Amino acid sequence: MSDSLFEFADFDENASERIGYSDYSYWRSTVKVFLKNKIAVILLVVLSILLIFTFIQPLIPGQNSPTKIHIDPATSVQMRNRLPDSTFWFGTNSIGQDLWARIWSGTRTSLLIGLIVGFFEMLVGITYGALWGYVRKLDRVMTEVYNVLNNIPTTIILLLMAYILRPGFKTMIIAMCITGWLGLARFVRNQIVIIRDREYNLASRCLGTPAGRVIGRNLLPYLVSVIMLQTALSIPGTIGWEVFLTYIGLGLPVSIPSLGNLVNEGRLIMMSPELRYQLIFPTIVLSIITISFYVLGNAFADASDPRNHV
Amino acid sequence: MFRYVLKRFSQSLVTLFIVVTVVFMLMRLLPLEGYFGDGYDKLSEEQKVAALDRMGLLDPWYVQLGNFYVKLSRGDLGTSIIYRRDVPVTEVIAPRIPYSMYFGIFATLLALIAGLSLGVFMARKKGRGLDKAGTAYIVLINAVPSAVYLLFIQLYGTSLFNLPILFDKYRVKSWILPAISLSLGGIAGYAMWIRRYMVDELNKDYIKLARAKGLPEKLIMVRHVMRNAFVPMAQYLPAAILSTISGSIYIESLYSIPGMGGLLVDVIQRQDNPMVQALVLIFSSVGIIGLFLGDILMAIFDPRIKLVKGEGSR
Amino acid sequence: MENILAEKILDVKDIVIKFNLRGQVLTAIRGTSLDVRKGETIAIVGESGSGKSVLTKSFIGMLDKNGWVDSGSILFDGEDLAKFCGEKPWLAIRGKKISMVFQDPMTSLNPLRTVGSQIGEVYALHRGYNAKKAETAAIEMLNRVGIPDADKRHKQFPHEFSGGMRQRVVIAIAMACEPRILICDEPTTALDVTIQAQILDLIRSLQAEFGFTTIYITHDLGVVANVADRVAVMYAGKIVECGQAEEVFYDPRHPYTWALLSSLPQLGIKGKPLFSIKGTPPSLFKEIKGDAFAARNPYALKIDFVQEPPRFEVSPSHWASTWLLDPRAPKVEPPEIIKHLQESWQVQNAWLSGSKA
Repeated sequence: MSDSLFEFADFDENASERIGYSDYSYWRSTVKVFLKNKIAVILLVVLSILLIFTFIQPLIPGQNSPTKIHIDPATSVQMRNRLPDSTFWFGTNSIGQDLWARIWSGTRTSLLIGLIVGFFEMLVGITYGALWGYVRKLDRVMTEVYNVLNNIPTTIILLLMAYILRPGFKTMIIAMCITGWLGLARFVRNQIVIIRDREYNLASRCLGTPAGRVIGRNLLPYLVSVIMLQTALSIPGTIGWEVFLTYIGLGLPVSIPSLGNLVNEGRLIMMSPELRYQLIFPTIVLSIITISFYVLGNAFADASDPRNHV
Repeated sequence: MFRYVLKRFSQSLVTLFIVVTVVFMLMRLLPLEGYFGDGYDKLSEEQKVAALDRMGLLDPWYVQLGNFYVKLSRGDLGTSIIYRRDVPVTEVIAPRIPYSMYFGIFATLLALIAGLSLGVFMARKKGRGLDKAGTAYIVLINAVPSAVYLLFIQLYGTSLFNLPILFDKYRVKSWILPAISLSLGGIAGYAMWIRRYMVDELNKDYIKLARAKGLPEKLIMVRHVMRNAFVPMAQYLPAAILSTISGSIYIESLYSIPGMGGLLVDVIQRQDNPMVQALVLIFSSVGIIGLFLGDILMAIFDPRIKLVKGEGSR
Repeated sequence: MENILAEKILDVKDIVIKFNLRGQVLTAIRGTSLDVRKGETIAIVGESGSGKSVLTKSFIGMLDKNGWVDSGSILFDGEDLAKFCGEKPWLAIRGKKISMVFQDPMTSLNPLRTVGSQIGEVYALHRGYNAKKAETAAIEMLNRVGIPDADKRHKQFPHEFSGGMRQRVVIAIAMACEPRILICDEPTTALDVTIQAQILDLIRSLQAEFGFTTIYITHDLGVVANVADRVAVMYAGKIVECGQAEEVFYDPRHPYTWALLSSLPQLGIKGKPLFSIKGTPPSLFKEIKGDAFAARNPYALKIDFVQEPPRFEVSPSHWASTWLLDPRAPKVEPPEIIKHLQESWQVQNAWLSGSKA
């Protein structure tokens, strides 16, 4: 050991600050954690393919119309209950319609309903919830409104709406919109109430951070996780209600194919084993969609929770 | 404690009153055919108006509401028009309640026992095989609409286990599938909640202290974690039990069980307004009462509960 | 109690503790040694993240699930605690031979069980008392720690007690079976200043009565001055200086100790900015070359960046791990503020000095 090592070293103040440097980006970490969840990634791929195909399907040449009743030219009889073959990939239903076309059309309809309802829920839910949580004066009133609405079972409201307004596409959307936003509003409100008074937000305000930045960097990351979860879950929810209402007889008319219709049509003949494919095919598509949305919603919510970040 | 009960009770009463009024108002929007039965098209306009007037449906809404409460205090829920002509609603409903309740209570018990056990095991063996399997089950039940998986249970349950499809009072075998079907959702729900509560408890500081005391992990689980996690579960109990009155609409329909839920479907399809009205009111009230009792139960078990202002609970 | 030659009750040698954090390995304790003498009060000081909690948690096997003792030994009562496997061997130590008091009394107690039952549990567990006997013993213990009306209050729940009283209950739980060592992890940080003094007094009187050894973990040098016989200063997972309390306070040798003492607000001069140590502690994910404090050390020598300093003895009871004590190093005077420490302190805080038992 040379004695020169015992001389003073140059002291660089800034060098010590550099030791603790952190290279953290919220969204990058979220994506990273999400990608670690193998099941979620697989489902994301599957769902994406399914969704893309659902909307491309009518554009592929050689596809049949979902409502066209196919008649066998040789016998002039409707091609009913045909098992899946090279012409009809999913077979035909009890009046001779192409099940393959019906399923994709039905998926489009159900997804459309889900998206519209989900979007509405987000809009109304977030607005109501944000006001409810942030503006203290409104808290009392809005809580009472919430309590009343929450206590009326959703089933009842849906049934009543459908009963009163007569079943149909618009009715279904209206009814589900009315009942769906409550849950999201409640979550948003709870989050805002918790976060609004947390010390780091007070600290941000004391430091002079503009309100927009406080909301954007402090509140939003928490809200995103909850919002994504709720929205993703609302799609399986809407499909579920749709199937239920159709079963009761308050769903969409048969002329508009939907997953609910298809499942119920399949149900009617499910007791004959050879015709079960009419139930199974729509169920598989429905299950893939609902399970994917559910798992993806939860996976994204977990990934966007900063506590799970590396 | 008594003051808390009183306060909560009056809250529920107010909510109940508002709900009943709102539902009542909605009822005014019911299609008029529901009040007349088959002869509707044959009646002339004056006859329709006269009939509506006789039924008190043309009075201002507050008069109608008042009449309704008066009749309610006498136990009169109106008379069925189409479903069972001229039979008081209460008579129609009464024999159906026991079916819903028996199934409901059995299913609730089954769901509690199976669900809570599953949830506890899942929390204890977190991340391992059972936890993953349980999670898969919960995901399936929550994601796939119940209307769909219940259908499949009926389909394959009957063929695989040679069980009858439709319910028959005298054949015990026909009770099995509906009862199990009814409990599936509850199992998933209870398992999920108890697991979550337990996992939350395990991270708490006083569990660390319990460990530092020298308590073995098993004792900690039972004496501290489980005991503490079960407390918030209490709030779900009364609602679960009370909802058995309403019965499950879908399952009763699938298996043709003569219960309350199936009744609702029937009267909606038959368009019998007084029946629809009465049933809707019952279903709504049951929910509110259940929540109220749940809160009371929680107050009994958790020494920390005081009434907090402006809380949108649940 | 200043018995330098008292026997060792806990002998920690070259202990290395690592954690697995989302795939990366963090070395929280980088190979350090400590001996704790019977009957003394020793304080481990250091900033957040220095590893003081982790070190003491390893004495009762309460490292987080993703942590482990990589190497080294912890000798206690004829056994090497570092070699313990699984839960079973610890059950005879925790709460019985070594107890711990945690930082936050508000969350340390089970809110759904009575205070008496939580104390009684320890008696039932380690001494096999039945319910009645455990209850009586619990009431007696509550009395001892200064809870009034213990015979009625033992049936109450934690939320019916104030913070200070809850900490007393926690101490009662820890003391119930008369352990040989009591570890206090920042026991007063969450409490009011007035209550702090009471709690420290309580622990002191219990120590006088039962004769146990106390290990304090704290970042509050005021607490240290109040209670400690010996002080160990920790930085980045290693103990850098250790000695009798007077020696460390009035004759510190390690630049980090200088910096730590300089940052006491009490030593601030009116009108001048308060002293603070520039920079942040190094990341413990990577291996550290040389002295961990070098980058933030205005007195750093070139060798501090190359090789880690060994321990240099200042007196039989005082050592510091810094190259400045090497005979080849230039003579360095501690900062002015340290030299006047004794005077300033006596002037401003009369109660601090000379108030030890």
